[in-house]
Amino acid sequence: MIEGGGRGDGGDRAREEFFSEAQEIVDGLSRDLLALDEAARRGGGDAELVNDVFRAVHTLKGLSGLFGAALMSGLSHELEDLLDDLRLGRIELSAQVLDLLFRSVELYGRILGAARGDGPEPAQEVKELLAALGHVAAQKGGQTSAGVLAQYELDPGLLGVLTEYEEHRLRSNLQAGLALYRMRVSFLLATIDSALDELKAKTRPLGEIITFLPTGEGGDAESVELEILVASRASLDELRAALAGAAATVEEVRRRDRGSSARASYPEGLDGAATPVPPPLAPASSGSLAPPAAASLVPPPSLAPSGGREVTLRSVTQTVRVDIRKLDHLMNIVGELGLVRSAVGKVVDRARRRGELGDVSADLHRIHRALERHLGQLQNGILEVRMVPLGQVFDKLARIVRQISREHDKSVNLVITGSETEIDKLIVEELSDPLMHMMRNAIDHAIEDRDGRMAAGKPAVGTIALNAFQKGNHVVVEVEDDGRGMSRDRIVRAAIQRGLVTEEAARDLDDKEALDLVFAPGFTTKDEATSLSGRGVGMDVVKTNIGKLGGVIDISSELGIGTKMTIVLPITLAIISVLVVEVAGRTFCVPLASVEEAFRLDARQIRLVDGREVITQRGATLPLVRLAQTFELRGHREGVFVVAPDEPRPEPRAPREGRAFVVLGAVAGRRVGFVVDDLVGQQDIVIKALGPSLQRIRGVAGATDLGDQRVGLVLDTAALIEEALAARPAARALGEALA
Amino acid sequence: MSAFEPRTGDDLVPEEQRAEYLAFLLAGDAYAIAIASVVEILRPLPVTEVPRAPAEVLGVMNARGRIVTVLDLRERFALPTNGKLDRRARVLLVDVGSEIVGLLVEEVLQVVRLAPSEIEPPDRLGAEAPPHVVGIARPRGRGAALVTRPGGVVVLVDLGPLFVGGRRET
Repeated sequence: MIEGGGRGDGGDRAREEFFSEAQEIVDGLSRDLLALDEAARRGGGDAELVNDVFRAVHTLKGLSGLFGAALMSGLSHELEDLLDDLRLGRIELSAQVLDLLFRSVELYGRILGAARGDGPEPAQEVKELLAALGHVAAQKGGQTSAGVLAQYELDPGLLGVLTEYEEHRLRSNLQAGLALYRMRVSFLLATIDSALDELKAKTRPLGEIITFLPTGEGGDAESVELEILVASRASLDELRAALAGAAATVEEVRRRDRGSSARASYPEGLDGAATPVPPPLAPASSGSLAPPAAASLVPPPSLAPSGGREVTLRSVTQTVRVDIRKLDHLMNIVGELGLVRSAVGKVVDRARRRGELGDVSADLHRIHRALERHLGQLQNGILEVRMVPLGQVFDKLARIVRQISREHDKSVNLVITGSETEIDKLIVEELSDPLMHMMRNAIDHAIEDRDGRMAAGKPAVGTIALNAFQKGNHVVVEVEDDGRGMSRDRIVRAAIQRGLVTEEAARDLDDKEALDLVFAPGFTTKDEATSLSGRGVGMDVVKTNIGKLGGVIDISSELGIGTKMTIVLPITLAIISVLVVEVAGRTFCVPLASVEEAFRLDARQIRLVDGREVITQRGATLPLVRLAQTFELRGHREGVFVVAPDEPRPEPRAPREGRAFVVLGAVAGRRVGFVVDDLVGQQDIVIKALGPSLQRIRGVAGATDLGDQRVGLVLDTAALIEEALAARPAARALGEALA
Repeated sequence: MSAFEPRTGDDLVPEEQRAEYLAFLLAGDAYAIAIASVVEILRPLPVTEVPRAPAEVLGVMNARGRIVTVLDLRERFALPTNGKLDRRARVLLVDVGSEIVGLLVEEVLQVVRLAPSEIEPPDRLGAEAPPHVVGIARPRGRGAALVTRPGGVVVLVDLGPLFVGGRRET
């Protein structure tokens, strides 16, 4: 059976495609809105961004129409109208309008979620949003700046063919004090698409192309001359320099009041719409640019002023969307191939030892090495495909932070670094909920309100830093705020109040253990759940979810200064390196990422502290955990068995009395020595989940195929360490109180 | 069906109304599950014990790259577990809805086609039947050979209720 192969019929597949494409567009929409918000706060708009948003909504409208998604279609339709008004300058990009746009992104997300069976359709909310949109549309203002265009030496014929949008862009740019340039460029019809794109790309950094129109001059059967209007802050020379490669003439369109001294003395005639017809455009010096062929007028290609966008059927991206399950399937095959390779390796070794085969065995050895290398590359390649930048989830968080801080009337600045850090796609997906919850907590509980911050001598605007970076085979994500910090007393009081810990036990807790109480199920410091963070999930859920990803979360806080949460995650869930060990004849795999070292246990070193075994390792006391006892493994090698007696049994390895090894497990600064019988070796494995019926077994993270038909269990080192340390007498009372 | 078997009234029941079950032996008695839920029948493979798992979980095994939980239903149904496991022992891969599990059985008997009239509801047993027992069959004709002792029956089992929501009900 092929897992993750083609599934469902064509209709299902198309729907899947629709969902993922819609999701992608909504994600992009969210990013653009954030940038727009940023631009608006700096006091400027960004026409190109408004256009991007408009296009995204337009595409969504088309898509949802195709798939009969009525709610999405209705929402898109109204939004499109609003955005059209926005880009034409009929309404202003106010905070209120931005709020509506952000709200719509959230609703798109919920509509998509509902379509996947995840929650109800937000029909009522969409209705409310539509009403609010209608209200904004009703406030449309008229144009306030009709006069400005008349101050420039522009051909009224040209002004006549500008679209409403182009006219609006021209007017806003001129009002903003930008200079206006006129370019004339001749294009070969055969290459006009790419040449025009190239020209646009060169111009964009310097300014905005308002329109381009065929001049009707200087063209022939193979070429056409375009006149391009560009608004820019750059000087004429800068613009000319930027376009050096293109055969273009550039000149400034002068303002009448400045450009011509003759008119400067009659300023009163210039500021109204009643200005007499301006002189026609000066003939441009186009001769040198036109191709040498004789001029014969060609009807311009479809460059008519319809917003100026060429239509192409070619896809703009070179990417394919792939179901992650297909990648899992490939990964499994690579895992199996690895097993085949090691079997081949054993044959090669045998052949080499015998020495009879001579050259053949040397060739075989060489080929085997090549196979090994390429297989490694294949594995890395697939792993790389699974990797996505953390920015995917960070962008969503930025939107949520904006929304929450507005709801809560707190000023928060989110500073993100390391969004380009890559991590397994599955981890990114599972990370968004925990991170979102941490953001809510930081804004709701940690960041003080404006007055509180001023009183504490802090900047009025709070800062939440979201940092990500790679560290070996792990990715570290930090959430750090400069809020009020966590008070030990407050945490302990709340925990006692909720019966999470007894007063007695609380006295014995050190500061770190007290802080860790926030991860206890049911912990909260608020008496009433606020609309922000008190939605029934607490930090215990955050911790559990991160634990499921093989990660750990750690917390540190300084009263009055701030709180820092650090999440350490494996870079991928698919392949891990493990140390294979034997305990009572059973085989276990310990993820190498959590192994600091492994060494021979010297029984004479063992001391008893608080009734438990410890040794001193590198000057520090290391608690020991005998895995055979922890797992209650009875009898040697009884754990792995072949049921039918006529099947060959693997030769049992005799237990070696008195010989043992310590595998030093370390996660988030906590160290425990696991006592095992033998170290078998290091291996790269494809980790597989145990079936749902075994999901809740504590201390076992999954299983893997060891190659000889046997299954090896992969230990959950973090859980085992925590379990071992929680059994400390001082903390035992805590454990009992939690139960 | 052989021409030499005695004709009974049930032979007149149209084939499509007969349900197919796979019968197997547990602690010497015949049990059967709907054949549609059986994915594969395997010879026993090495099973790896899972510490801290419930008693009826023998462990996990690798069935063509898939990690499958293997259960001993005798433990689950509180039957004696000292029954013989020899070369006739098999593992049935069964789809229980939330996952595919392996059932260790002492022997796979045969596929039995049962007409509705051959199946009695479980409450006929007198005592309240556990939810996984969906019926009691007293097969006639060829299926009669399944019954190993006088007055014996074939217990029809549905494993679905044992795995509700992906978690074993206890």
